[in-house]
Amino acid sequence: MAEKAFPSPFDIETPPGAEGWESMYNWYHLFGEERREMDDQRFWFADRLHHPDVIPPYDEIQCECWWAALGAFNTRIFSMPPAFGVDQRILNGRLYVTPVAAPAEDIAARAEEFAGRAGHYYENWDSIYEEWKSKVTAKLDEIRAIMFAPLPDLEPIELVTDHRGYSSGFAMVRDFEHLVLTMYETYQYHFELLNVGYAAYLNFFALCKNAFPGITDQSIARMVGGLRVDLYRPDDELRRLAKEAERLGIAETVLDEGLSAADLFARLSDDPDGKTWVDDWNATADPWFVINTDPGHPGGYHTYDTWADVPDVPMVSVREYLRRFRAGEDIDRDTAGVLRERDRITGEYRELMSPDDHAAFDQAVALARLVFTYIEEHVIYIEHWMWATFWAKSKELSRALAAMGELDDPEDMFFLRRGEVGQALYDCVVGWSVGSRSRGADYWRPIVAERKRIFEALKAWEPPPALGPPPTEVNEPFTVMLWGITTSSVLGWLDDSSSDGGATLKGLGASPGVAEGPARVLRDVGELSAVEPGEVLVCPATSPAWAPIFTRVAATVSDVGGFMSHTAIVCREYGMPAVVGTGNAVATITTGQRIRVDGNSGVVTILEGA
Amino acid sequence: MTAPPIVRIDDAAGAGADLLGGKGASLARLSEAGLRVPPGFVVTTVAYRSAIGAELGDRVDAILAQDAAGAQVRELIANHPVDEALAAAVRSAYAELGDDVAVAVRSSSAAEDSADHSFAGEHDTYLWVRGADDVLAKLRECWASLFTTRAIDYRRRVGPAAGGAEMAVVVQEMVPARSAGVFMTLNPENGDRSKVAVESVWGLGEPLVSGTVTPDGFHLDKVTGEVVRRTVVAKPTELVRAPAGTGTTTADVEPDRQETPSLDEAELVELLRLARLVERHFGCPQDGEFAIGPGAAPDNVFLVQSRPETVWSRRARPAASQGVTLMDSILSNLVPDTGRE
Repeated sequence: MAEKAFPSPFDIETPPGAEGWESMYNWYHLFGEERREMDDQRFWFADRLHHPDVIPPYDEIQCECWWAALGAFNTRIFSMPPAFGVDQRILNGRLYVTPVAAPAEDIAARAEEFAGRAGHYYENWDSIYEEWKSKVTAKLDEIRAIMFAPLPDLEPIELVTDHRGYSSGFAMVRDFEHLVLTMYETYQYHFELLNVGYAAYLNFFALCKNAFPGITDQSIARMVGGLRVDLYRPDDELRRLAKEAERLGIAETVLDEGLSAADLFARLSDDPDGKTWVDDWNATADPWFVINTDPGHPGGYHTYDTWADVPDVPMVSVREYLRRFRAGEDIDRDTAGVLRERDRITGEYRELMSPDDHAAFDQAVALARLVFTYIEEHVIYIEHWMWATFWAKSKELSRALAAMGELDDPEDMFFLRRGEVGQALYDCVVGWSVGSRSRGADYWRPIVAERKRIFEALKAWEPPPALGPPPTEVNEPFTVMLWGITTSSVLGWLDDSSSDGGATLKGLGASPGVAEGPARVLRDVGELSAVEPGEVLVCPATSPAWAPIFTRVAATVSDVGGFMSHTAIVCREYGMPAVVGTGNAVATITTGQRIRVDGNSGVVTILEGA
Repeated sequence: MTAPPIVRIDDAAGAGADLLGGKGASLARLSEAGLRVPPGFVVTTVAYRSAIGAELGDRVDAILAQDAAGAQVRELIANHPVDEALAAAVRSAYAELGDDVAVAVRSSSAAEDSADHSFAGEHDTYLWVRGADDVLAKLRECWASLFTTRAIDYRRRVGPAAGGAEMAVVVQEMVPARSAGVFMTLNPENGDRSKVAVESVWGLGEPLVSGTVTPDGFHLDKVTGEVVRRTVVAKPTELVRAPAGTGTTTADVEPDRQETPSLDEAELVELLRLARLVERHFGCPQDGEFAIGPGAAPDNVFLVQSRPETVWSRRARPAASQGVTLMDSILSNLVPDTGRE
């Protein structure tokens, strides 16, 4: 690669007004002189896939969870031969990461270990996955059972008659620890199956590329994409509710755009059929509308609501489906058709292969399909259900702390680091226990005020896509697959930094086809109703919350994501071109510009209005 | 049964390249497979043998012993009259195609277009030929082109022995091609058998086949039908029928058509279908030619040639799978450097 390099992390200046930002994050998460010699030699890239915005201090836990869990499963548990974990640093509030390679001399021994350990998982995959679901849902039930409420003046009598033996204040301290540890534990489970699953998928991927050098990534994914997976269930439920509204004869009311979701539910509840529908909605909402609405990786920040929190978001989609259903359109997903197509594609590529490869192909595709259900489905369990519940419980705690005067405002809690929240909670509980006064809000007020100022200053900072010396080649399979980062995309970043951009953007062709149309730039799923049919969606990334949009737009462009991203998976299913991982499409393209999306080559061209 | 001197393309089931030449045999098989092939007939190698005869054959061999023999042999053969019985048979077969119909007269040597050797472009082809006399004249030119210097050299290099060569000639109704080109049922750059590579130009395909123009290029995925590569170039000229109605001429392409793709999406879809069909039918990768007639796809897409691909087909296909067991394979992909070859 050229001599060009990205800036050293040690040369990055603090944005004006953000001085002291380091106090918002844990010391071990920062670049520091002690590790300078090592860190200055490493190539860091901004993890905009999972953490596209400034990280609030409390939300640092999101990074910490995967930092430790991914690392342990690669490095210590499965002995992934080439790859240790992915190291992290926070700089100016943004997360930078770097994959850590295993020492070359250890790889052979690690491979031997991996064969036995991963082999055990592949051989028992289905039963392990069933066990996995039980473990995760049990953890989910545990944290749902936790209740944070302002502490009572006098404990209820049952505490005495049941001989409980500890105060509600102690329980609150304990439950917060339990909440945090449960999230850590769940994230261990998240990586229990993920990278070992990706390794199996990569095997199939490589086999296809060896046999057919020109095969597109998306064709390979189409051969294994499972469709009867829970990932599509929330969207299916929206379609079902739309049809139910018609069946119950309440379509006109549901379609009344003048009614908010809350007003609509109130109005419908007066009538038996309407009530049936509202009850159906409520029963469906838990769990299927526990869907995070983050523009990036779902559950990445505490700040985004779920569908269940803001029913107006899924209501937009239900109304859209209902209108189309009434217009005579078949709104069901053609699951059988897509499965038939999957089998046709698989069969035909197999036929084009040398017969000598058939046995290997059959094994590889079978294993890839086995693991792919988890790869697609785990997002619902972890990224949506677990994180949404974790954030909801954290907010419950923040309200209790504010009510007890430990904080001025519930949101203040998220400007404290996780450890500091534990301290605040202890301070609060001690004051309550003793019947004295905690230092509370008086202590935190200036700290929170300063951090809020810093936070705003950090938001104005445009993070460089990467830091440090670029690698000669990006071939670490997980980096390529998870982040969509390749040798050529790194080269592209270097070029971009020396010019002021052009009329084309390069990303990863994630779903085949070419389409043109006026751009519709959306930063947030709440703006979904603005989309006109035939427009090209340009967004940071998508999650299942965006599902209804895919039947209206001509193509999709996202800033982040690899070919396993939600955008890629869904666009392939809808047969619509998609380019993901463009880096800066949202910032570069404006609504109304005519653009062309080439999902085969990964190029987005601004045709006019540039 | 003695082999006939003339065989209709759609009535040649079972006849091979020894009788029909490579081109003729492949057309016969395309027709047999139910593919759209322009109607026509083959003047077989039996006719060639009887036309050359023992006396003329000896003279040819004598000349071939010398250097720079090609021109003399060609002159000898081109001027040697076709015997009356064969001439009458050709006239009759030609009349069956229609009234003074325009035809292509193409050499179809018995040794060409096998999976082992490609004689692509080594022998003559005549387009927009009209009238029985001219067909007979071009028949003799095709026989003579067995002895062009480059064809003689080619055969000396790759065999078989020059004197043993035999030539059939295909006479086939002319497709008034709006566009034409070649296809290959694999990616010629890397042998990827999941692709069909197509090159095309406006007008007749000969300038493309002889490599004198730069064509549009398309790579199609056989399974998904995606056009995975599309290169559209400026095409300032095209080969078309001469104004007089016989023969061909190079004409300028109107400016607004020069950078337009010479194939539309529906034609690409039909070509992909036909290419896959012939590959399946013949059981090996194919390399062929097509012409796009007037009208719209699929009915205007004609295959005019298909033969076994000769480059990648002769190489051993490397195994795509790495390692004996599934786990070996998984490991070899995780650790590319230590992966098995």
